[in-house]
Amino acid sequence: MQRIATTVRLNRSTVQFEDAAYRRLEAYFAEGEQRLAGNPDRQEILDDLEQAVADQCARRLPPGQGVVTLAELVSALDEIGPVQVPGAAPAAERVSRDNTTRDTTRRLEQVSEGAVISGVCQGLARYFRLDVTLLRIVAVLLLLGTGGGMVLVYLAAMLLLPFAPQAPGGRPVRWLPARSREFVEFLRAKLHAVAS
Amino acid sequence: MIVESKLAPIRKGLLEFLVLKIVGCRSAYVPDILRRLSGTEFSTQEGTLYPLLSKLRREELVAYQWQESDAGPPRKYYSLTEAGRAQLAALDEYWSRINRTIADIGH
Repeated sequence: MQRIATTVRLNRSTVQFEDAAYRRLEAYFAEGEQRLAGNPDRQEILDDLEQAVADQCARRLPPGQGVVTLAELVSALDEIGPVQVPGAAPAAERVSRDNTTRDTTRRLEQVSEGAVISGVCQGLARYFRLDVTLLRIVAVLLLLGTGGGMVLVYLAAMLLLPFAPQAPGGRPVRWLPARSREFVEFLRAKLHAVAS
Repeated sequence: MIVESKLAPIRKGLLEFLVLKIVGCRSAYVPDILRRLSGTEFSTQEGTLYPLLSKLRREELVAYQWQESDAGPPRKYYSLTEAGRAQLAALDEYWSRINRTIADIGH
């Protein structure tokens, strides 16, 4: 026994695909969904693309044929092209960049840009993928609850955590974060001098 | 080939401008837009155009209307909104300025 075709609803059309073609179709949309993750118009774009696939396949079906073959689907998908999100790097480039950002986002660092004091909370928020406001509220509560003990913890974190490299074209670091950064760098230089 | 790849990011960035221009001329559905761009330096594909149009719609620069078609399901016809028209005029203006700068430099 062998399954011959799968019937698929593509937006407003119904299309039959050979088994191999169906798997290829699933892979195309799985990749598309992944690239559109977080895009507010994800569903709309996917619906549009489903319709595009249905239309392109219908155009390629020889008269009297009802089932789209793998070759026909591949040709249709080639014409439609991969899902490209505006403003994003092309697919091949993005893979390598994803790898590099994954490495840096998992490092525990302090982030000076947009910091209130030195960027410890921002660094923790980035590391644990939490909302920075939430962490700041917790930090303030701990400051009050520990009767100032939190100040020492924060100072220790300031001294110990490396600074994240600044994003090119990012906001300049001003006011207190800039001062605290200078202060930490000054202290580190002193400690280094003492140690050696 | 080298020249083409050097200006690839610029071509990519200009696609939005060109789509606004095409849609601004008269309302168009995606195959119309693709046909207009095919054979030019800006030839593109549905996989690129649909996400771009959705972005432009979210920015309220374009809007679409469903229109029945003789063959197949209804089609989305895109046109410029007021904001889209203003943006297109501004982009046109800026693009002319860039062209003048490029033409003037080195003379």
